[in-house]
Amino acid sequence: MSAGLETRIRAIAYALPAARRTVRELAAAGALTSDPAVLERFGFQHVHVAVEESPYELARAAAERLLAAEDVDPASVGLVVYCGPPSAIAFAAAADAPSAAAAMCTAERFRSPATRLQYELGLDGASVLALDQLACTTLLGAVRVARALCEAEGIDRALCVAGEFYPALAGREALYNCTSDAACALLLEPGSGRGRICGAATITKGYYWDPTARPEEVVASYFPTAVRAIHSTLVDAGWRRDEVDWVIPHNVSVASWDVLMRLAGLPRARLWADNVAARGHTLSGDNFINLHDAIAAGAVRPGDRVLLFSYGYGAHWTGLAVEV
Amino acid sequence: MRAALPLDATHGRGLVLVTGATGLLGSMVVRRWAHAAGAPRLAVLVRDAARWRAVSAALAIPEGRVEPLEGDLTAGGLGLTLAERARLARLASGVVHLAADTTFSRPLSDARAVNLEGTRRLLDLADGWRGMTRFALVSTAFVAGRRTGDVPEAAEGAADEVTGWVNAYERSKAEAEALVRAARRDWVVLRSSTVACDDLSGAVTQRNAVHQALRLFHGGLAAMMPGVEASTLDVVPSDYVADAIARLALAPALDGTTVHLCAGAGAMPLAELLDETYALWARAPEWRRRGISVPALGDLTTWEMFERAVASTGDERLRRVTRAMTHFLPQLALPKRFATDRADALLGNRAPAVRDYWGRMIEHLVRTGWRGVAAEQGAAA
Repeated sequence: MSAGLETRIRAIAYALPAARRTVRELAAAGALTSDPAVLERFGFQHVHVAVEESPYELARAAAERLLAAEDVDPASVGLVVYCGPPSAIAFAAAADAPSAAAAMCTAERFRSPATRLQYELGLDGASVLALDQLACTTLLGAVRVARALCEAEGIDRALCVAGEFYPALAGREALYNCTSDAACALLLEPGSGRGRICGAATITKGYYWDPTARPEEVVASYFPTAVRAIHSTLVDAGWRRDEVDWVIPHNVSVASWDVLMRLAGLPRARLWADNVAARGHTLSGDNFINLHDAIAAGAVRPGDRVLLFSYGYGAHWTGLAVEV
Repeated sequence: MRAALPLDATHGRGLVLVTGATGLLGSMVVRRWAHAAGAPRLAVLVRDAARWRAVSAALAIPEGRVEPLEGDLTAGGLGLTLAERARLARLASGVVHLAADTTFSRPLSDARAVNLEGTRRLLDLADGWRGMTRFALVSTAFVAGRRTGDVPEAAEGAADEVTGWVNAYERSKAEAEALVRAARRDWVVLRSSTVACDDLSGAVTQRNAVHQALRLFHGGLAAMMPGVEASTLDVVPSDYVADAIARLALAPALDGTTVHLCAGAGAMPLAELLDETYALWARAPEWRRRGISVPALGDLTTWEMFERAVASTGDERLRRVTRAMTHFLPQLALPKRFATDRADALLGNRAPAVRDYWGRMIEHLVRTGWRGVAAEQGAAA
């Protein structure tokens, strides 16, 4: 078990772009590399696609929703960990992202979505950090940082926000997974109440820093390292496998989850995969959006032990054990 | 254990026809006999006499000691001339049938064409030999197919239609065994385990599917493999198998006997084997820095789900990797232990335990740069 740390995820909120596409529509638009029937067999049906929205707008909407729903005084937030594209890209609508990227090479590089969020939401008491380069594990990385800082610096309330787009020119498919745009916000507080973080594990393998250069190796590394990360998370939490009530996934192929659950020795019936078809793979927001929806749907109940696992394309494997 | 049977303990006094003499085990058996005093007179059925001459020269077989007969297991009358067939009928007293198509990935019809029908043609040929006293079939221990648990040195050790087999090679060899048992009373079936290396030195002369799988593992290309907690890997060095065949194939008083040439109790637990293998590879700093994990172990159902998922992607490179493992690795999820009591008693020694040479074999493969081991093509034994 993690030494002496008692932090809980108090609440989750998210924001989705207005547009939604089916896998078939994405294929017709040339946004997929695989046959849409393959992606449908892997469990994908719809994804959310930002057109007019910017990542920052989505991130701000998610954070505002969270603070309002929890009736939290923004000034009481002591830490903001912001995840998502930097500066100019964060403020551009998806349709304009390629041209906005050029501004990264100008002084606009210093326009910061993290500090803008602090200012616009009145998070005046918060210190601000931003995380990047963890791909789909970025929000889990933010939780890790926030949890550590809550303990180390005595911070009473932390806001983690991820607002992401799949790269504008990268189509809508990553390793046979259909990608979505979304933002997700979490409120973390010290304490042992509902949402207590019981354990965590992170594995990073820098060898895979350029996943496009060695796709077969990346695919091969996924399962054995995922099994290790999951087991390490359970060990850190002090849980046996049969004590896991739900596995809350990142929304990658259901076929791959079917295999991973067996390899990890976890019953398939404990995987909450309802959102794969409905939402697609919303990058780092998946696990928490799913946890929110699983609670809302009544599947995950108070006291349940849930295991969140995500893989950051290439080099990152992260697990988080939470008692809801 | 009793003393080993000598090489000259021949069952008959006539000519012995050997098939597969240009192959790994066949050439080693012929070399042993050709150099032993009192060993049988030999004729070898070969598809290409020139190739045989090259093999013979490499083995330093004395001129005139072995008579090559050009023919083909898949041809009517084995492709022999009438005169050759008549001469065999007059002089031959035994057949030692080692030739086989050992490619695990063959379709059943192709595997049967050589392994079953080739055996049938040999049986037909030998049927008219007046002095015939022994038909020795070299088979595979993996005729046991998908059965698990203890596998006896008996016809019953083979799988049946209900139990099933992992690949067409196993099945075609089980069918060949049944054919031989039904056709004759002077049969001996010698079931070899998978050959991993030459001898206790770990040197590898002939690469096969085992080495190809290891190369995929070494390259970080294997996500998972079939295997369960009780799994062991049963492999043998070729010198043990060749020596055993040379001593047992023509030995008297073995009519109707099935013998396992396997590691048996010396098979290596899969977890230990993987740990040792990866620890050896990790001695190389550059390899270690890649952070390659031991493939995740899953039961057969999981493996099949994984295969289906890979197949669904349509990615040919991923499929090649999976295909290279699928024709024999599933055996690792079907834990079995081959009985070797009879072999041990007849030979006076056991096959070397796998852990006694596995590490040296791994080091040899790496040291030689995986020479001759395909990176990701279809598996072939």
